[in-house]
Order: sequence, then C-alpha cells, then structure tokens
Amino acid sequence: MTSATSPNPAPVFDIRALTYVTHVDDNLCCPICQSPLVEPFTTSCRHTFCSECITNALKASKTCPVDRTPLDTKNINMAPVVLANLVNDLTVLCPNHRDGLGCTATLPRGNVEGHLKEDCLYVTVACPGCEEKIMRKDLQDDVCVHVEEECSYCSGMHRKLDMKEHETVCPGLTTPCKFCGNECPRPQIPNHEAICDEAIVSCDAASVGCPWHGLRKESTDHSTSCPLMHIRPLLEENNSRLANLEHENKLLRRRLELSLVARAQTDIAESMDDQTIRVLTEQEHIRSDLERLYVSMQEMDIKQNMLSMHMSDNMRTKEEVAMIGAAVNNLRTQLHGLQLLMFRRQGLDQNGSGGARPTGASSQAGDNSVLGHARRMSDMPSGDRVKL
Amino acid sequence: MANLPKRIIKETQRLTEEPVPGINAVPHEDNLRYFDVSIHGPSQSPYEGGIFRLELFLPEDYPMCPPKIRFLTKIYHPNIDRLGRICLDVLKSNWSPALQIRTILLSIQALLGAPNPDDPLANDVAQKWKEDEKTAIETARQWTRTHAMS
Ligand SMILES: [Zn+2]
Ligand SMILES: [Zn+2]
Ligand SMILES: [Zn+2]
Ligand SMILES: [Zn+2]
Ligand SMILES: [Zn+2]
Ligand SMILES: [Zn+2]
Ligand SMILES: [Zn+2]
Repeated sequence: MTSATSPNPAPVFDIRALTYVTHVDDNLCCPICQSPLVEPFTTSCRHTFCSECITNALKASKTCPVDRTPLDTKNINMAPVVLANLVNDLTVLCPNHRDGLGCTATLPRGNVEGHLKEDCLYVTVACPGCEEKIMRKDLQDDVCVHVEEECSYCSGMHRKLDMKEHETVCPGLTTPCKFCGNECPRPQIPNHEAICDEAIVSCDAASVGCPWHGLRKESTDHSTSCPLMHIRPLLEENNSRLANLEHENKLLRRRLELSLVARAQTDIAESMDDQTIRVLTEQEHIRSDLERLYVSMQEMDIKQNMLSMHMSDNMRTKEEVAMIGAAVNNLRTQLHGLQLLMFRRQGLDQNGSGGARPTGASSQAGDNSVLGHARRMSDMPSGDRVKL
Repeated sequence: MANLPKRIIKETQRLTEEPVPGINAVPHEDNLRYFDVSIHGPSQSPYEGGIFRLELFLPEDYPMCPPKIRFLTKIYHPNIDRLGRICLDVLKSNWSPALQIRTILLSIQALLGAPNPDDPLANDVAQKWKEDEKTAIETARQWTRTHAMS
C-alpha cells in the first residue's frame, strides 16, 4: 500500500442496506431490524438479536421484544460463534455496486469492510499528488492525475484522469472502419459509416418484404434488378385503389338503399312520367357505376396475375396476393349483391309499368297509356313498396 | 429517502407483495413514513361492510417506539374516541420493536371485532355499551352505514 492511501479513514457503510445474493432464511434475521443478524446476541429467554438492536430496545423497555420476559443488559450474551460465522459468510454485493456500473464484487459479508479498505476500485481515496478525492480505479502510481498534459496524438491538453476517455474521441487518433478497414479519425467514424461503400445495408424495398442485405456499393445493382423495387409503387397503388373501390361500393349501396326508401315514400300521386324518368336515370347511374367497378376489378385481376408471376418465390408477397385476391372476391360478392338489388328494382319497374298486378286494376287491364300506369301505381298499397 | 431504514423498506415491500386480507396500507410517495390505511370491518361485527380509513405514521425512532395511528373515518366504538385515537395496549405501553405494521393493523381489525368497554377511551360510548349493548351495537351499525359505506 502506498503512503497516500493509508490515511484514508475506515470505510463506513450501512451493513443493513447490503444486498444479499441468495435468499436469507427468516431464522437468521433479527426480529427488530429484520435484516440478517449483525453481531448476534442471545437473551436469557433464548431469543437472538443484533447487539445494537437489543441494546437500543432495552433502553426503551426492560423486556424481551419477542416474549416480554423482563430483561436487563446483564441478561444478554454473545450468541454462539457458529451463528455469527453463519451470518458473516452470507454472500453480498459490494456496497459500491450500481446497476450495470460500479464494483462487481460479490463476497462474504464478513469481508466487506476489508474489501472497501484495501481493494474496492470504487472507493474514493486521496490523490497522491494533490489530496483531491478520486476513485481508486483512477489512481496512477504516485502521480497527481489532475495535472493537464499534452495528448501525444492531437496535442490537446487534458487531465491525466480524463486521458483514457479523451482517446476514445481524440481527432488525432484514427481507427480502422469496421467495414472497409480504412483508417479514419475517431470523431468521423459515424459519418463515414453512413456512406462507406463496404457497409452492409438492406434493400429500399425492405418495407415490402425484400430480404436482400449486402454491401452499399452493390445496392444500386440490386435495386435495378429487385422485383420488389419494381412492383412497390404498383403494390401501394393497388392497395389505395382497393380502399377507394371499397369506399365507393359502400357509398353506392347506401345511395341505392336511400333512393329505394325515398321512392317508396314519394308522393304516390306523382305522375308516372316523372317517376319513370327518375327510375331510369338512377338505373343508368348505377349501371355505369357497376361498369366502372367491373373494369376496376378486371384491372385488379390482371395485376393480381402479374403479381403472382413476379413473386411466385416470395412468401410475403404471396400472402399479399392472397389478401388482394380475398379483397377482390369480397368486391365480387358485393357486386353480386348490387346486381341482385338491380334485378329486383328492374322487376319492380316491370311491375309498375308492365301491369302484371292481379288486383285493383283488372278493369283497366290492357290499357297501356301513361295515365293507366299512374293510376295503378297509385293503387298500390304503399306498404308493399316499403318491403322492397 | 436515502436514509429510510432497511426495515421500513422491507415492511412496505411485504405489505404490497403479501397483503393482509381486508387491510390495505400504501405509503405516500413524498413521505414513505406516512401511510394511507384502510381496514374492512370484520364480518359478524357491527362494522361489517364498512371500510374504515386510517392514517399511520412511523416516527423517527420506529421501531423503538410504536407507529402513530388514527381513524379518519368516524366510528362508534368504546376504544376509539371522537378524534379517531385508538386505545390499544400494543400501541402504547405494550409496544415491542418486534411488532410490525401488519401485526398492529391486524390487532386493530381484531379490536373492531371485539370491543372492550372495560378499557375505554371513549367514555360515553363505553358507558352506553355497558348499559344497553343492543342499542350501542345498533348505533355502531348505523354509523358504519353513514360514514364507512360510500
Ligand atoms: Zn437487528
Ligand atoms: Zn425472549
Ligand atoms: Zn467493491
Ligand atoms: Zn491530483
Ligand atoms: Zn488527443
Ligand atoms: Zn469504411
Ligand atoms: Zn430488393
């Protein structure tokens, strides 16, 4: 030991704040402080406490804290050595341990004091040169670590204490790039790695499933040949198109339903001409909407085929295709529903204009004039229409 | 709270990890020696169904001296006075440093189940309890409904 470290006072630490590495049996714990016994003492009623704990307790009350037997200081004695050894051999962490940092020593509790006094690197000691407090790990022989000295690589001035840390960022020191091996000033390393040709990068289409990894210098080559790079815009466009179609479909259906209800509620005295024209116009609307849907669906079918061809070897995209396929089928079902609706409407119109109603209009059967239609429409009980 | 004794830390941990049924004790975040306590009235007692709030404070020399405890919820009980102070030997002369928060709270819960009018703190209540126990118990029940069930 150097002359500089010997005047350090005996280290103080809270023995009851120690962290035990293994579970400690409750029987080894003091009933008062509830920590593993420290200097165990036993009473005449055969209860055991830390010497400090029982002494303090007797100052407050002259009875045993466990069974209230009258007690005095002369009724307590050191516990058997075997018990003292047992608790002193319990393994603890060094009091200077910190989560992830600090001293990593684990040791028998009885050795903690000696460890702190002689060995622990995370104890503050006096600097041999200037008496300032430093960690033992920063001690360097018998010299003061607080004097600045010149860095031999960049000739900047740094304290001896900080030199190791400085060297990790010293601009005068170079480090080989871990990718290309070229020497690089240490502070520049992150910038260099961001453009280094030999660095490992992933494909720009990684977000849509390209598994390619490789050197940055080869990534351009890959991009031009990467099938996913090519279809990425298509894939994304398809997705948004699908969403649009679904939305449109929903709107159409609502419009259809609304118009049916509205029609049922229309004043039934309205002239047949107006009514017919409105129905025909609406039908025309719906038909053209349906045609657009058909066209979109065919486009999607073609794209789906293209995609399947492109990516028959790519599981992820296969799933994507399956999803699109399912969406298309869904659309198809919806379309089918729309068609059904349309057929039913056409049926209604024929009923309205074809006059195949058995009741209420028999006297005018065969009358194909517009007025006749109007009358028959008005004869229809409105409840019948609402059922549509 | 760097100087909070290990014993208090341990007791607090155990109170939350292995809670006593019907008893709840949570330390204040800004003062780890001050606990909000609630005790469920024991079944078969006039306090059944009630939840009683208490405050508990661990003085500087705890466990050499007992914790300070007081009912915050109004309660009709011969051993608890109007200010919520509790007449319980283990909280006074019979305190022992080997007792703990959990054992003390259990004693208080037991006191609710077994009122002791011969060692009263609330003299008027104790008097009623001795003269007409039936009425006293009914009053205790009523107070429980009014003050401890909301
Ligand atoms: Zn102790
Ligand atoms: Zn004893
Ligand atoms: Zn250490
Ligand atoms: Zn120095
Ligand atoms: Zn340097
Ligand atoms: Zn490089
Ligand atoms: Zn790619």
